[in-house]
Amino acid sequence: MALINQATKEIQLKIVYYGPPRGGKTTNLEKVHAEVDATPETKGKLTSLATNSDRTLFFDFLPLETAVVRGFKTKFQLFTVPGQVIYNTTRQLVLRGVDGLVFVADSQYEKMEENVQTFGNMIQNLETLNQTLDDLPYVLQYNKRDLPNAAPVDYLEYVLNNRDTQVPSFASSAVKGEGIFETLNMITRMLLHKLLTESGRKAA
Amino acid sequence: MLSLPSLIDEDIAALDAALGDFVAASSSRLAIFIDGGGFIVTRQGDAGGIDLATLGALAANSFAATQAIAKIIHDHSVTSLYQEGVENSMLILSVGDFGFLAAVFPSQIGVGSVKYYSHDALVRISRQLAAARSRAPANGLDLASINLADTGPLFRRRAT
Repeated sequence: MALINQATKEIQLKIVYYGPPRGGKTTNLEKVHAEVDATPETKGKLTSLATNSDRTLFFDFLPLETAVVRGFKTKFQLFTVPGQVIYNTTRQLVLRGVDGLVFVADSQYEKMEENVQTFGNMIQNLETLNQTLDDLPYVLQYNKRDLPNAAPVDYLEYVLNNRDTQVPSFASSAVKGEGIFETLNMITRMLLHKLLTESGRKAA
Repeated sequence: MLSLPSLIDEDIAALDAALGDFVAASSSRLAIFIDGGGFIVTRQGDAGGIDLATLGALAANSFAATQAIAKIIHDHSVTSLYQEGVENSMLILSVGDFGFLAAVFPSQIGVGSVKYYSHDALVRISRQLAAARSRAPANGLDLASINLADTGPLFRRRAT
């Protein structure tokens, strides 16, 4: 849930990168951390709680800050969840307090079943927190577009972006840093828009 | 866990007073109020180069993991988590459904003492946040000054 501190003029928002194992969630954060145009004051340290083999054990965490929103310093916490099925309880913990989601799908044909299962798992885990995708901003990222066996984007859209309301989706190659900033900027925009809309509705 | 209400100057001043008194009474180095998602709301004491953003995220998730472990062993009332260090120790206390109070204190100070003095701080923090919630149950926020069209790309790739 967005933390709004009117005393210090700060808005704090939590974004979680969710997706199948080895889909590129951690790579997204690593690339953002490495390539974002930010000062040391506005870009925090990337923290990874990983196994010895660099698989995410609990989460990766990257704090970022932007002063673009007039009057308010906006702080973002970017998290990843562990993709492996055995860590489902951990995924539920990381989802607590989430404001927006990036679903990082693996574009490879043979990963399609895992994509669908993980998307369903995300919905189930949100339900345990009394949240649904209907009221939570999210975007889809079709990662690994650089691989030769990547399925067409239209196919991924058909498989994953088939809910009543279609959401923005982005083709990406996280290892090349392609599509990651487009994804991040869209989810942050959607979050701010939601805040603005809800604020207006409540003020009315 | 419910979201925090929108906080105004009066809330932060009250939270700071509660934390400040707690730091002084318990001889802690640092006291932080963290929301359920791991965001630092406010703090008192000497942060002394500590990465507070990361500390908050790790503390909140660590506490959540401890609660999950407790449930597995059929215990549902975890309210504190103590980390014993050589130089500095840390005590994380639940503040109801509002978040956590984390205290960093010299390891030679007994955790019992810190926990004892935390009671008053926990009551004052809870009381203030309850008041804030009742004042703005809808989490109202004046965002009139925000012009979304002006924001542009919030994050840019660094020029090479």
